[in-house]
Amino acid sequence: MRCFSPSRRGSSSLTRNFELVKPWRKFVILALALGVFGTVRLAYEARLSTELRSAGMCPPRLPIGSRERIGQTSSAVALGGLRTLVATFLNLRAFAAFYDRRWDKLAATYDTIVELAPRTRYYWETGAWHLAYNAASYYHNDSELPPLRRREAWRSYVIQGRAFLERGIRNNPDDWSLRANLGFLLSDPNKFPAFRDNRASFAAAAQAYQQASATGQAPDYVRRAWFYALARVAGQESAALAMARSLYAAGPHNRTPTLLVLLLVLESHANPALDSGQRAVELFGTPAKAYAALAGHWRRTREQFPVYGIAAALESLEQSLAIPKDHSLFNQAVPPPVNPDDWLRN
Amino acid sequence: MNTAAHPPLTGSHCRRIGVIAAHAFTQLARMKVFYFLAIFAVIAIASNFFDLPQHVGPESVGANVLRSIKSWSLGAMTLFAVVLSVVATALLLPKDVEDRTLYTILAKPVPRFDYLAGKLLGVLLLVMVSLGLMDVLMTVVLQIRTSMVVEQQTAMAAAMGYTPDAIASLRGETLANGPNWSLQWAVCAVFLRASIMASLALLVSTFSTSTLFTTIVSFLVYFIGHFQADARDFYLQAGHAGEGSFARVAALAVSLVLPDFQLFNVIDAVIEGQMLPLFLLGKLALVAVYYALFFTIASWFIFADKEF
Repeated sequence: MRCFSPSRRGSSSLTRNFELVKPWRKFVILALALGVFGTVRLAYEARLSTELRSAGMCPPRLPIGSRERIGQTSSAVALGGLRTLVATFLNLRAFAAFYDRRWDKLAATYDTIVELAPRTRYYWETGAWHLAYNAASYYHNDSELPPLRRREAWRSYVIQGRAFLERGIRNNPDDWSLRANLGFLLSDPNKFPAFRDNRASFAAAAQAYQQASATGQAPDYVRRAWFYALARVAGQESAALAMARSLYAAGPHNRTPTLLVLLLVLESHANPALDSGQRAVELFGTPAKAYAALAGHWRRTREQFPVYGIAAALESLEQSLAIPKDHSLFNQAVPPPVNPDDWLRN
Repeated sequence: MNTAAHPPLTGSHCRRIGVIAAHAFTQLARMKVFYFLAIFAVIAIASNFFDLPQHVGPESVGANVLRSIKSWSLGAMTLFAVVLSVVATALLLPKDVEDRTLYTILAKPVPRFDYLAGKLLGVLLLVMVSLGLMDVLMTVVLQIRTSMVVEQQTAMAAAMGYTPDAIASLRGETLANGPNWSLQWAVCAVFLRASIMASLALLVSTFSTSTLFTTIVSFLVYFIGHFQADARDFYLQAGHAGEGSFARVAALAVSLVLPDFQLFNVIDAVIEGQMLPLFLLGKLALVAVYYALFFTIASWFIFADKEF
């Protein structure tokens, strides 16, 4: 075999001179360079790592528990810089768990998914939706379980869904959608009984919508939803009235039937002497429109909206519209407020 | 030192490096490495079909599928780029020895540094072209799908009575998850990581005895590199919990020698919809350039003394 050694090779002066340096000297030069440049690099990398983390560009380290849950292969892939890819595959696994109605597995899978991709809104929202709506409804409809267990399982998954969303908000404080979803869950009439203290849950819903709105990225309906929640918090009527007036003044797109009725209700609360029938006609344009809207509001007992002045307004409108006594709204059955124990008896 | 006996050099370093790089690129392209693009195309298209059911609201329509396309595509790009840079670099030197090309080159007035730099640049050129092609494919697929999602969301939002402002805000949010500059910077981050791996494989291949050894060692370093930040933090924060001095020295050694690959995980944040500022990419590029230079110079230190 031919032998090419450095001494017989052609080179430029710099490279040639270097290539003639003795090996041990090269080793010393390399070690020195490693020490000097490595120390500078070490500090630079530590600073850059902190900077990336504070800019939200570097996800937090994967907890040991998650590494164990996703298995060695996925863990290696996740550590190899493909965390979101592993999260995507786990999302498919979670969907399979949803399809098979294996709710514990679904909850555990979403726990892992959000640890892998904590900044993805979709995973937080979908996980909470599966827990608070799909899993809770599954147990609500499971006739094989005794009512008490059905009720507790239903409540437990609604609470888990709420906790999951709140965790998502702590991880993504600037995300309007997660906060709006929490507000929606807390003011959903089908979920009220799970939270026990309605006043506290309406106040929490109002706060969630308020914070969503404060991000400046939320659509208009979030502000209206904030008002709808605030209107139901006992003791906050003055603040709710001020907000209703502000929304009304902001433009016709805000003047939904619910907002107009609640404006009337809150004005009646502030001024019990108000002629609510006359005010209703002013707000809705005609007595017929006003009556239809107020009658709808009267029947919406499940949503627990306040009804100050509504009965008086309806009586006044029934008189002006000449509605016969036997057709009067007050002679018709009104749906009872929501009660999960009633559902579970069926 | 007497250098008079050496034959004179013709042309500049850059020209010689360019010629060797072009040759290395052609050599690798002839190995039909671009066939993997067909697999990538299948992945990019398949990722369109994972549109799972979503909860209520136009905001969630198609939100999963756009992220799925980015996640699958950037994941595949990372995998291909790292594998390509390691395997291609690991192959080059042994193949040149086997084909006797190395002897022909070194018999000419070509500095060994130029030879190594040329080979490395050839591999990097191959990785860059591959990533560029994959990027184009991903961007086209993502653009088409984003337009479809925006259309669906707008129709749903209009049906639900969203105001024009709200629809515009929704549209802006969705477009931020479509193709944008941040996504291109993420592809650059993939390239930077691959270039570190290529230069590392070059260093290993200068003292390795086989392609397999180079590949295995490089991948081991790749995975350990993802723990480098832990070792660095351990070293920097050590002393508070009574750690032994050996553990500190070991942590320092790992931190000094191995690259911190976790820095390049910014691509995860981009997939999640974050915007990667250009100045941060610039800082990452500085890290990559440091490693590429350091490993290449270290390769030259070893290769300069090697006898064939």
